[in-house]
Amino acid sequence: MDFLIQIFSFAFLAQVLRFCTPYYLAANSANFSERSGVINIAVEGFMISSAFSFALISVLTGNWFFALIFSVIVNLVLGCLFALFTVRLKIDQIVVGVGFNLLMAGLSKFLLVYIFGTSSATPGFNGIPHIPFIDSIPYLGKVLSDYIVLFSFVLIFLANHILFKTRFGLRLRSAGENPEAAESLGVKVRKYRFYALLISCFLSALAGIWLVSNQNSYSDGMIAGRGFIGLAAMIIGKWKPGKIFIACLMFSFFEALEISLQLSGSNIPSQLIQILPYLITILVLIGFIGKTKPPAADGVPY
Amino acid sequence: MNINIRKNIVSVALSVIITIIISFLLLLILKKDPVQIYSLMLKDIFASGYGIGQTLFKTTPLILLGCGLALCFHASIFNIGAEGQLNAGSFVIGIVLYYLSPLPAFFAVPVSIIAGMLVSSLFGIIPALIKIKKGVSEVITTIMLNFVVLGLINYFLLRFFAVKATMHSEKINDSFMFPKLSVYSDIFQGSTVNISIILALITAVCCYIVIYKTKYGYKLRAIGFNPTASKYIGVDVSKIIFSSFTIGAALTAFAGVNFILGYKGYYEFGFSNNIGFTAIAVTLLAKNNPIGIIFSAFLFGILDYGGLVVNEIVPKEIMLVVQGVIILAIFSVDKIVKNYYLKKG
Repeated sequence: MDFLIQIFSFAFLAQVLRFCTPYYLAANSANFSERSGVINIAVEGFMISSAFSFALISVLTGNWFFALIFSVIVNLVLGCLFALFTVRLKIDQIVVGVGFNLLMAGLSKFLLVYIFGTSSATPGFNGIPHIPFIDSIPYLGKVLSDYIVLFSFVLIFLANHILFKTRFGLRLRSAGENPEAAESLGVKVRKYRFYALLISCFLSALAGIWLVSNQNSYSDGMIAGRGFIGLAAMIIGKWKPGKIFIACLMFSFFEALEISLQLSGSNIPSQLIQILPYLITILVLIGFIGKTKPPAADGVPY
Repeated sequence: MNINIRKNIVSVALSVIITIIISFLLLLILKKDPVQIYSLMLKDIFASGYGIGQTLFKTTPLILLGCGLALCFHASIFNIGAEGQLNAGSFVIGIVLYYLSPLPAFFAVPVSIIAGMLVSSLFGIIPALIKIKKGVSEVITTIMLNFVVLGLINYFLLRFFAVKATMHSEKINDSFMFPKLSVYSDIFQGSTVNISIILALITAVCCYIVIYKTKYGYKLRAIGFNPTASKYIGVDVSKIIFSSFTIGAALTAFAGVNFILGYKGYYEFGFSNNIGFTAIAVTLLAKNNPIGIIFSAFLFGILDYGGLVVNEIVPKEIMLVVQGVIILAIFSVDKIVKNYYLKKG
């Protein structure tokens, strides 16, 4: 019993809410792109690029704001490149995604060694500061004083509003459901896919930045498949921002649980908890837990 | 010459050239001398049998993985799960060999390889069945399975099989080990290249024959071109997808044969170092043609081993960048070449 009380405390809840952030941002990143009809499995790669560039500028200048701006710009430029390949040249989106993931993993490894002379981690730096005063509230202070965490909470409503309540969102979704029909009604499908990819890259940038800023250093392999978990959450959440949030909470619960178990020295193997998100995703895809239906023209070049 | 073949050769050559140019530019930005780096790399590899041997050693698993992936890609199955599949099979090969230590090699080695192939193929069967029965794209399921497989191996290895304080299994009986090529020829003295390379070449030729010269291969490629049409001319699409996915996954286990039986004598967690993904680039560069894969795998072998050679001047990770660039280059060039021929008529 002691053990359970120790785990399911306020501190644990706060932990779950915090860990949810990168998953939710990554999942929304994937969702905006898929809603417009572009499968983006490069979320993982985009998180790597933003995390690394944030760390790079942080270490060089010591200024988190510059780092944030630089990192977002890097991702937007990469997003344009991604759009060039998938939207303009209409190359298979999965292939481009795999290529980007390989490229980002390789580039970050290379630059890590080249600039910092180590294959493991950058020197430490101060991450994005927390909002003062709120910071000192017990338990939830760390959650409520973190700008990016707060943004991800806002995003639940914002993403829903943009996708389902605005003209922009309607057109974006029409590009993902039936591009030919959309185009015949005057919607510039390619333009909307391009915008969607920019939003996608911005959100994955925030996901990467949050991780690296909280770890106060970039280490090789630190993204550790979170971009793919984001994709998984998007599928389980049926491409709807609200449901995606619940899926992300489930995954962050597992992550927090895994850490608590490790700290408490329990003999429940952490590797088996780590694979749960992936197993659950497969089960959902098979149809054990409700039916999933992607946007109709998801992955179809136009 | 056939226009398609000409198109392919043009676009492959162009994309390799573009990649070389991009890497030259990158090196120039970093104020390194690209000519010096590339010439050092090529000199070191081709001046000695050792260099060629090491490159061939790196080439071996890429050929085998590439052949497995080619079978899938021809049927438009985008198998991203090679990394997981090859680790599952290799892990089993390492463990089975260890437990069969007292038995003679002619029995233990084939049994372990078959066991490894069965387990590897299991992780092709799962996504294949999900695709056939539920219509779920294999892309997501294979990505997810990669994590599942690696997590499971990590658990079982550390819990039951690993040598204390390491990430590898117990060493197998020395008599099981494949002979190195240096046994037959002094040229390869000191290199780890072993008879797995012969195995890889034979596999590539067999795959070529299966894909291009048999009825099965014809159906396979028909599905890749147009699944609906092939269904109407009487091809059992599900059966072909199931079998090519399964065989393709089974072949990935051979990557472990090269490493365990040809080199270390044990399974080591992380030995694959993402070759499951590199193999995707190898296969795509070769346009899914097994004979082409031999050459593109050799090219990637050069990049892989060459990275080690130039490591003192520029971090070897530069070759990972080159691999990423090559995938994107092939496809962009492909589109542009296709458009060019389209315009020309």
